[in-house]
Amino acid sequence: MTAVSSLPTPHAAASPSLAFEPSEPGAAESWDECRDAHGQLRPSWQRFFDAAPELRDDPAAEFERQRAAIAQQIRADGVTHNVHAGEATQPSAARPWSLEALPLIVEPGDWADIERGVLQRARLLGAMLADCYGPQRLLKDALLPPALVFRHSGYLRPLHGVVPVAGMHLHIVAFDVARGSDGRWWVISQRTQSPSGLGYVLHNRLIVSRLFPEAFRELRVQHIASGYRRLLDTVQQQAGEVAARLGDGNMPRVALLTPGPYSETYFEHAYLARYLGLPLVEGADLTVRGERLFLRTVEGLQPVHGLLRRLDDDYCDPLELRPDSALGVPGLVQVLRARNLVLANALGSGFLESSAVQGFLPGIGRALLGEDLLLPSLATWWCGEPAAWQAVRGDLAGRVLRPAFRGSGEGARRIDVSHIDAMQRRVDADPDAFSVQGHLPPSRAALPLPSGRLSARPALLRVYAIADAADRWHVLPGGLTRVATRAPLSVSMAEGGTSLDTWVRTEGAVDSFSMLPQRLGLAELAARRPPVASRTAENLFWLGRYTERTEQAVRLAQAALGLVDGDDDVPAPLLAAMSALVAAQGLVPAGTPGAERSPARFERNLLAALVQRDGGIDFDLQSLARVAGALRDRLSPEQWGLVRRMGDSFHRGFARNGSGVPSAAQAQPALQRLTLQLAALTGAQTDRMTRDHGWRLLSAGRLIERLAGMAATLACLLEAFDPRGGSAATTELLLELFDSRITFRARYQRHEDLLALADLLVFDDSNPRAFAGTLRRLRTELAKLPGSDVARAELRARLPVQGAGLTLAELASHDDGAMGERLVQLAQTLQASAFDLSDAIGQRYFAHADGGLTMQRV
Amino acid sequence: MNSAELDRSPLLEVEHLTHYRYGAPVDLAQHLAYLRPRDDATQEVKDFDLQIDPVPLQQRSELDRLGNPRACFTVTAPHRELRVRTTSRVRVRGDDAFELGATQPWEAVRERLRYVAGGAFEPAAEFVFASPFVPALPALRELALPAFAPGMPVALAAVDLMARIHAGFAYRSASTEVDTPLAQVLVTREGVCQDFAHVMIGALRAMGLAARYISGYLLTTAPDAGAGSAPMLGADASHAWVSVWCTMADGSPSRWLKLDPTNNVLPRTGHVRLAIGRDYSDVTPLRGVIRGGGEHQLEVRVRTRRVE
Repeated sequence: MTAVSSLPTPHAAASPSLAFEPSEPGAAESWDECRDAHGQLRPSWQRFFDAAPELRDDPAAEFERQRAAIAQQIRADGVTHNVHAGEATQPSAARPWSLEALPLIVEPGDWADIERGVLQRARLLGAMLADCYGPQRLLKDALLPPALVFRHSGYLRPLHGVVPVAGMHLHIVAFDVARGSDGRWWVISQRTQSPSGLGYVLHNRLIVSRLFPEAFRELRVQHIASGYRRLLDTVQQQAGEVAARLGDGNMPRVALLTPGPYSETYFEHAYLARYLGLPLVEGADLTVRGERLFLRTVEGLQPVHGLLRRLDDDYCDPLELRPDSALGVPGLVQVLRARNLVLANALGSGFLESSAVQGFLPGIGRALLGEDLLLPSLATWWCGEPAAWQAVRGDLAGRVLRPAFRGSGEGARRIDVSHIDAMQRRVDADPDAFSVQGHLPPSRAALPLPSGRLSARPALLRVYAIADAADRWHVLPGGLTRVATRAPLSVSMAEGGTSLDTWVRTEGAVDSFSMLPQRLGLAELAARRPPVASRTAENLFWLGRYTERTEQAVRLAQAALGLVDGDDDVPAPLLAAMSALVAAQGLVPAGTPGAERSPARFERNLLAALVQRDGGIDFDLQSLARVAGALRDRLSPEQWGLVRRMGDSFHRGFARNGSGVPSAAQAQPALQRLTLQLAALTGAQTDRMTRDHGWRLLSAGRLIERLAGMAATLACLLEAFDPRGGSAATTELLLELFDSRITFRARYQRHEDLLALADLLVFDDSNPRAFAGTLRRLRTELAKLPGSDVARAELRARLPVQGAGLTLAELASHDDGAMGERLVQLAQTLQASAFDLSDAIGQRYFAHADGGLTMQRV
Repeated sequence: MNSAELDRSPLLEVEHLTHYRYGAPVDLAQHLAYLRPRDDATQEVKDFDLQIDPVPLQQRSELDRLGNPRACFTVTAPHRELRVRTTSRVRVRGDDAFELGATQPWEAVRERLRYVAGGAFEPAAEFVFASPFVPALPALRELALPAFAPGMPVALAAVDLMARIHAGFAYRSASTEVDTPLAQVLVTREGVCQDFAHVMIGALRAMGLAARYISGYLLTTAPDAGAGSAPMLGADASHAWVSVWCTMADGSPSRWLKLDPTNNVLPRTGHVRLAIGRDYSDVTPLRGVIRGGGEHQLEVRVRTRRVE
């Protein structure tokens, strides 16, 4: 037994080694989720720890092991949460998601209370939206103040009178709930317009249920997968009705709309899209024609019937909503007016998120549903109502002041005695803009500390209500529990909070539904091969090009270091040609003298550029990471993880060197490791991706880059080839850069013959790096791309009709000197063809994507 | 409106050309136009023609929530120029005259617009709050206060405010852009009709009153103006003015009093209304979102004349 197990734990008799930190002053008044009033573990926690004996034996070591396992999994899956996404222009502001091992356990009775209350409120919010965008009875009967509707930027006037498909304004609503000191649950706030967190909920569950498999089973924790299925089913069924009405057959197309990789929660958009099997699209992927929504794909415009929306509603249409939005789809509101799209959630629910609305809900519930609210809100006074403000104005201490409208740049503030006067003055100046809420010290959940002890920290639970196609609401049995680690009030993930899995126990049977695919019909099978969005295709094309470009750069850097660093006497013309190639690839700074003049300086510059940010290889790696990052819904987690790790591990390889210039001895292993990783990446791209049009464009990108790169290499190095002999070193270098040494030696042993070299590097169509081999595969991919025969022929016309555009016999007819010139000429032609083809592919397939043309409001 | 009154109303014809020239081709353009005059109790659209070049792929006309006619159209043909030309023939009848002094004191109007639980709801309350082009600024209240003596009937206070704005701000064509912030206009004290309207709306709202923006056209010389009066400002382009919500001391129905702060007049038969909204952003005559286009130049020409 370790020292930890001897810590005094007077009340937790059955688990002698688990100890709690002493509570902070004032914490005693709040509910403890883990222990009862006598400090005894609550029964479920007793059972939890019984099922996890390893935690009793050595909690510090076991918690540490779990922490490491969680961190490893979060890293591997790339689970991030971007901080301050509003200001960030770089996805690098992403920070890893934070998750604790111990869950929040919710007992069946408590859950029944939450569930009933949440179901009722979800119904109520839907009815409120139908009223506020329709007859406005709530305003007419003065049950809701006009200011909270008309002054709130979340009330979208262009949507007035627009009835969503199936009349459904809300498909999903999130409620933040907390448990008061009396053990009752209270609603703190609600998220109606595009609630975040479902992806994190799912991922948290995946990790934590694996940490405690026995406890998970033993405690009969409800599964959550069917909730996700329901959300998808609802949208798909409604979208199916839209598709049928529009004559698009019975296979609706549904996508997940994201603001893009700079969004705070982009990880979960990509994660949910993969989990739900939906394409992840940005505004620029979509376009409106004739009151219908279309996806821009490599096969032209394809209709879209449903969108799960993670883009804030005022950004959705720059024509009718926020004019400065570059993220939306111009004309989208027209599509909605024509009811030609299922949007989940519908636009315009943001004003319901105001804290001030909470105070009016009881009256509205009675008016619209004839029901009293089952789950209470915190006491809320909207200051714009003179009587309410006068009632609470003299009694502000300890309460919370909240802005009633968003965009004020202010957050909620707990009012302490010292600044009551200032708060009163602020409210008096614009009473409509504030509400005062009672403060609820939330219940406390157990958080493991590095010492192995547990700390009870304030916890807030976000639960999700999801509507089915019959307009019945269901509550996802689980949720996102956020826990404050630092600031006592703040459970915000952006302010250092962390999260817990939420275990909702059941007394009945556990719903074992999983998202495993169901058996599909033939029509569905065909429809499940979705067209490739133009922007996705463009990113895939560049993924192919950057992967190949990085490979070539790494191989060249290795070869160049080998030449200048080796013992062999390298002829000056070869050093000059090689230096020119290295400079052309951006691997040394401009103006670096060639290795034939100053080998030491050349080598130093080459090594320095390897570790330099934005240097040749780093730039390639960054470009690779950028396009891969935008393809997270397409790439396997392994592939995306591989790309992310390459840059880090490459730079780490030099880390010991600090900021100085690394040595060649350090550089070679780092380059070697990168070569292996690139080979793994290429393997994943070649072997493990579906061969759709996107994959074909990825392959075309790789082959085009290869053709251009190999052509440049040959053209450059042939300058140093002396056909009268003495070109062994040049031959070696060419073979190395074309990765063809073994084949050459097998065929030609130690010949240095130019014709033999050309045979292998130019004419051999079985050599994957030879011009003929590259061209043959490129022609094959081009022939399979979408479009008319004429369009495809037009693309192919940019390449030689067959072979490499020159025959061995024709080349052999030249004398030795002219042969070299002819090859250089061919290489230059092919390099130009490669770039020309790349542009033509861009115009043909990506012109719909957002790269070239920007959207502007006039 | 009875037919005798109609016959006495002038028939106005407005030609309105909007011409965009782009530095680069536009491959997709989606536009929203508030260019057809309203058809309501005080004006009648006799004729309306909308020409768009290049011809749009799709076009749709409808009424918005406030009864403003609008058109949406999509141009998919690549273009470097877009011309939108409208010709409207409108018979305008002025609002029924009423005694401005018979409106309720402004404080009473303000109280009617205030929320009280269980109290009465006034739809005009929608126009009390700040809007995208008219934020709540302290300077607006300072501007308004001198016109709002305690107990002053709301219409008289509004007319007084209009005179003060007309006197205190200089009309200078092209002195501002459509997106010049109101705060800047309040400092430079100059602007175009749109700025005059926004200033006045902001000042009225600062007093807790409901104020609307009206977009439309102005006859160069108002038909009901006396001979030899100065030509009206803002007649060479589309025009803008305001209305304020007034309740009557005798309990008769509330009404919106129209005021033109650019010209310091109460509009009657020389003002053709296109649309009403909270401010310019609700009823921009022509807006669009385009792909491509590069830099653009915009030319607008308006000609208004009386045809009978």
